[in-house]
Amino acid sequence: MSTPLQQSWRRIRKNPGAMIGMVILLVMVFMAIVAPLITPFDPTTQFLEYSVQQPGFKGNVLKKTNPSNPDRPILIAIKEFAVRGDSVYYTDPAGEHYRFHKSLLAGSTEDEWHITPTFILGTDRFGRDLWTRLIYGMRVSLTVGVIAQTIALIVGVLLGSLAGYFRGWVDDCIMWLINVVWSFPTLLLVVAFSVILGKGYWQTFIAIGISSWVDIARIVRGQFFSIREAEYIEATRAFGYGSIRTIFRHMLPNAIGPVIVLATAGFATAIIAEASLSFIGMGVQPPMPSWGQMIKDGYGYIALGVKWGMTVFPAAAMAIAVIALNLFGDGLRDAFDPRTSQR
Amino acid sequence: MNILLAIFSPRKLLYTLLVLLGVVLITFFVRPPGDPARVALGQHADAKSVQAMQQQLGLDKPLPVQIFKYVTNLAQGDLGRSIVTGKPVMETIMERLPATALLAVSSMALATILGIVLGVFAAWKANSWIDTALMSTSLLGISLPSFVVGLLFILWFAVQREWFPISGYVDKGWEYLVLPMITLAIRPLSVIARITRSSMLDVLGMDYVRTARAKGLSYISVFFKHALRNALNPVITTVSAWFAGLLAGTYFIELVFNWPGIGLATFNAIEKLDYPVIQGTVLVTALIFVATNVIADAVYTLIDPKVRAQ
Repeated sequence: MSTPLQQSWRRIRKNPGAMIGMVILLVMVFMAIVAPLITPFDPTTQFLEYSVQQPGFKGNVLKKTNPSNPDRPILIAIKEFAVRGDSVYYTDPAGEHYRFHKSLLAGSTEDEWHITPTFILGTDRFGRDLWTRLIYGMRVSLTVGVIAQTIALIVGVLLGSLAGYFRGWVDDCIMWLINVVWSFPTLLLVVAFSVILGKGYWQTFIAIGISSWVDIARIVRGQFFSIREAEYIEATRAFGYGSIRTIFRHMLPNAIGPVIVLATAGFATAIIAEASLSFIGMGVQPPMPSWGQMIKDGYGYIALGVKWGMTVFPAAAMAIAVIALNLFGDGLRDAFDPRTSQR
Repeated sequence: MNILLAIFSPRKLLYTLLVLLGVVLITFFVRPPGDPARVALGQHADAKSVQAMQQQLGLDKPLPVQIFKYVTNLAQGDLGRSIVTGKPVMETIMERLPATALLAVSSMALATILGIVLGVFAAWKANSWIDTALMSTSLLGISLPSFVVGLLFILWFAVQREWFPISGYVDKGWEYLVLPMITLAIRPLSVIARITRSSMLDVLGMDYVRTARAKGLSYISVFFKHALRNALNPVITTVSAWFAGLLAGTYFIELVFNWPGIGLATFNAIEKLDYPVIQGTVLVTALIFVATNVIADAVYTLIDPKVRAQ
């Protein structure tokens, strides 16, 4: 005997689209986790001299000790440098000459204090590495997606179970709330809640979370309506189990399939909502990178027809993430609902 | 008569009113954190003018009184005045509504027609390479937020090839409508094509279609006369749901293409924290959203024989 979840997993494994989606997602999550290891800089590191450079641009950088923070040396963009005696002489990209004492160099060998980093995807307006920002942006976008969806899940499952289990006036009240929230286009509601909460990181995922629980609540309620009459639920009543135990131990696990499907779709929607919010300047605030934030940064250059990578790279990253989620979600739906999987 | 009653039953109307009351309550609270009067006047305003502003906005009254006033004003079509310009919000909305409606309706028409045609075509050629290509493209269409599609279209079709203007309104010529309309249509188009395809395939697998074929009717005749008519029911539900959803999509498209509709007004208001305007546009959008859903429900009742028979 295998559980329904195991059966679903077996069906998913045979679905190439879903597996591709899942692998892409896992790779993205992994990259987001190990972001500091696969990026050359900190996402807020600026080289104002290297503003809006093309992909593949090679920098020339000296590291100078930072007295206020020894772990983060000062990075100086240079054209050329020379060490003579106790002094380091360098010319910055604008052609100005400078010098400082040799002991201020961060590190003992030249390999440590002189680097020529490649900006794989180029740089943005502030000379920040686009690749670095893209990867850290993935961190922010995925995190916002996960937390927002978790909030939506908690609210949706809770209200949906209460409505489906108790029915009567509890159901009436919750249905009213669902219909009220349902009356707003989701994205508009997200914007409205953002106005109420203000701009910022946590405001973003709360606004998205409390705007997107309705689908989940409806499906849980519907599932509960059909499960409630099942004999094994009647048995819990005969055993004298409390409502909470019945709901969480016996009813929810049997309603979980469609909820997982919806949560996956909602995750994709949350990523898009975050990007939309950040694009209009309401979501994640600079200098924190997020995909929407990056698209907003780059979009002024689109009309000029130059440096479109600043917009296209984060847009492509987001598209890949959302497509992967949609593929995986479609696979999940087919897996949980065998009737649709023949096609 | 029965149909009318099914659509406009007093119970349903009363419930809709209750829901609308909830909607109004939510919009009432759409205001920036902190003291709106202080926000409107800026950091350096003196206490006296802040107080005057509070009085003008009715913020000095207790909350229930404020809500009551908001609802009663609303019942008279009064959405308040902009903090920034002092102009009645209703006026701004009435000025901006035609632009939004033009964009939304033309996009939806495009999405519906093209979506059904492509969906039927994909079902017709089910599991061929063209079906796969269409469905993969539609997956891409669903996966990109509309404002990103808009930016890409501007880059490709307005900047790199100067086929269409970058941004602006149709008062300068109809070519200004093309890019925003197509951009906004992409998502519903993709969804409608996918639903049409799967609904067609569902219906084609049913017994009555097989019977019709067994009677000797040609595949083409069965496909279009029997299957298509029945397959369109879920499509209509989708179309109406998406038309409603499109209104929110319009907001971002308007921003990207500098299209002077309700969305652009909202974003300008958000930038200046002009909350009466935000409240007004959000409320009107929600009302249109609800109205569209009610109408869609009615249309669905009218055309669905199963519902009609009850």
